[in-house]
Amino acid sequence: MFLEFLLISIILFAVVILGSSRLGTIIWYFVMQSLVLSITPLIVSFGLHAFIMTTAMIVLKVFLMPGLLFWMIRHTAIRREVEPLIGYGKTLILGGVLVMIAFLISAKLDVPVKQISELLVPSAFSLVMIGFLLMVSRLKAITQVIGYLIMENGIFLFSLLLLEKTPLLVEMGILLDIFVGVLVMGIIVNHIDQAFGTTNTMNLTNLRG
Amino acid sequence: MEIYLLIGLPVIMGTGVFLFRLHERTQKTILVATAMVHCFMTMSLWFRPCGILFNTFMGIDAPSQLVLTVVSVLFCIISVYMCGSLTNERMHAHSVCVGSLLFFLAAMTLVTFSRHMGLLWIAIEATTLLSVPLINYYHSTESIEATWKYLLISSLGIAMALLGTFFLAIATSQVTTIFLDDILLNAQLLSVPWLKLSIIFLVVGYGTKMGLAPMHTWKPDVYGEAPPPIGALLAGVLTSCAFLAFFRIAQICMHAHIGDIFSPVFILMGILSIAIAAIFIMGQKDFSRLLGYSSIEHMGIIVLGLGLGGQAVWASFYHVINNSFVKGLIFLAAGNVYRIYKTKKVADIQGSIHSLPVSSVFLLVGFIAVTGFPPFGIFYSEILIFKQALVTHHYVVAFLYFLFLTVIFFGFSRILLQMVFGEAPESVMPPVKENMFFVLPLVLITVILFVIGIILPSSLSQIIAQSSLLLGGN
Repeated sequence: MFLEFLLISIILFAVVILGSSRLGTIIWYFVMQSLVLSITPLIVSFGLHAFIMTTAMIVLKVFLMPGLLFWMIRHTAIRREVEPLIGYGKTLILGGVLVMIAFLISAKLDVPVKQISELLVPSAFSLVMIGFLLMVSRLKAITQVIGYLIMENGIFLFSLLLLEKTPLLVEMGILLDIFVGVLVMGIIVNHIDQAFGTTNTMNLTNLRG
Repeated sequence: MEIYLLIGLPVIMGTGVFLFRLHERTQKTILVATAMVHCFMTMSLWFRPCGILFNTFMGIDAPSQLVLTVVSVLFCIISVYMCGSLTNERMHAHSVCVGSLLFFLAAMTLVTFSRHMGLLWIAIEATTLLSVPLINYYHSTESIEATWKYLLISSLGIAMALLGTFFLAIATSQVTTIFLDDILLNAQLLSVPWLKLSIIFLVVGYGTKMGLAPMHTWKPDVYGEAPPPIGALLAGVLTSCAFLAFFRIAQICMHAHIGDIFSPVFILMGILSIAIAAIFIMGQKDFSRLLGYSSIEHMGIIVLGLGLGGQAVWASFYHVINNSFVKGLIFLAAGNVYRIYKTKKVADIQGSIHSLPVSSVFLLVGFIAVTGFPPFGIFYSEILIFKQALVTHHYVVAFLYFLFLTVIFFGFSRILLQMVFGEAPESVMPPVKENMFFVLPLVLITVILFVIGIILPSSLSQIIAQSSLLLGGN
């Protein structure tokens, strides 16, 4: 029961992110989502493996990555998203539709591993799709990075199904790769800001044909 | 043991370059020395029979040995070229570039050795991240734009591949691990719906990395903006690694007996890639972007070969080797031309044969090889794939394949012949004395191309045959 409550709050945070315009607020919501997410391995299967995963998640996704994101917005002096490609109202409705689709898809799929919760697969699908929506509908490079991170959170939720199966080494490698990915993205966002005077990706349209 | 050395050596050297403020000359020496030692160690693997232990993270089988050799040899040659270009160009050797290059080599070596699908993902993702500082070398607005597109599209693709890997793990719930050998051995135990879902995501993910249409959009931008030797690395070496990941997927498909469902997908992606390349090569104004589209075309041909099966699998492997070296040759030769003309625009480069006789000849050789003329290997593999399409009664595929290759040849020759033999402008440049560092790599690659194309050493053809046997080819 408690796990279901956590999963629903994770989806809710993602939906709230879709509707917010201030970058600082978006990052705080992301922190809370990651915090809730990092507790879930402990509930699914209590043990050393889960404990290490939780610690790694908290260090990376609650402290390091948000710290990096905050550094990014301080460094580039941007506070809010300007006119997204699709309006906030529309993205919220789209987000709702995506969550619905996620539930429809996962009703069709039958999971051959031990079922932990009915909600686990649909919420993972929802997060992946909402992250994708955020990446394509927003113009600021930082919001696109956050979209990518939400997608990764969704994929992490999937990996809970396989917690006893994937070697710890591989999981650690995956987390590390994602962290370095965000670090590299942060550096490039900074370069975009220096070269164009803005982190608006609408300006990146010179290369065609 | 060799496995750990091959990965460890570039990592240690790369860390050294990152940590200590070394002199430029020392950095270059380290780069070339590491690449050469790596190359020799790879060669030594050819003289020793090497098997794979069951369920280990790393091992060497025929395709990985093949790709590793291509990676190592080409990297070694390009590092010599970089030694020259790091002094002459704006490319002053700084530690980020050399360090990333060495780590990049280690990551690619890891790709070839991985026997675990999770480890394979990690290695592929590492190659993506490590190539970012290399692409963004000039820090110009264009290169930043290309880098951002590359990062965003590749990250999306690679996230899809990760999702696919997890689906694969769910599909293998009865096998309990995702070691490649374990999956292949127990392929009949896999849950088919999840396996299909996983294959779709893996194909999209690793296809993005390979630059197959419709996930190809980053490729012309990146190849257009990266420095030429980096372009050679990406087009020649990195695509071969992505191909290996793609090959692993095809292997799983075949063992699980769902190959019949996915071979049409491979054929469609292949033809679509060739078509897109044909359309965009026609009116191309920037030579590096043209090479990007050419790379999309050749990746399409390779995947088409995998989809057709039989003899075409052999041809695909042969094509991978030839394509890598040809791309290396043509990028490096073009790099020599850009350096003198200080532009990549086709309209501004005219009559390069007068000012740069040696490099222009190699550019022509590269052109003949890349468009599939004898005596080069690409001719042979393209014909074999065409034949296989006819034998398996894919007449429409064969027709489109032939049509698009003709169009590409036409577009490519029009642009390149103008560049090499065109009317030189009034301010005709006197012949430049060409540096040894810039010519020697071209000579080496050309020799290798001739050897592979005409002689085809028996050990090489054996290992290609072994690799294609894994996919039921002959």
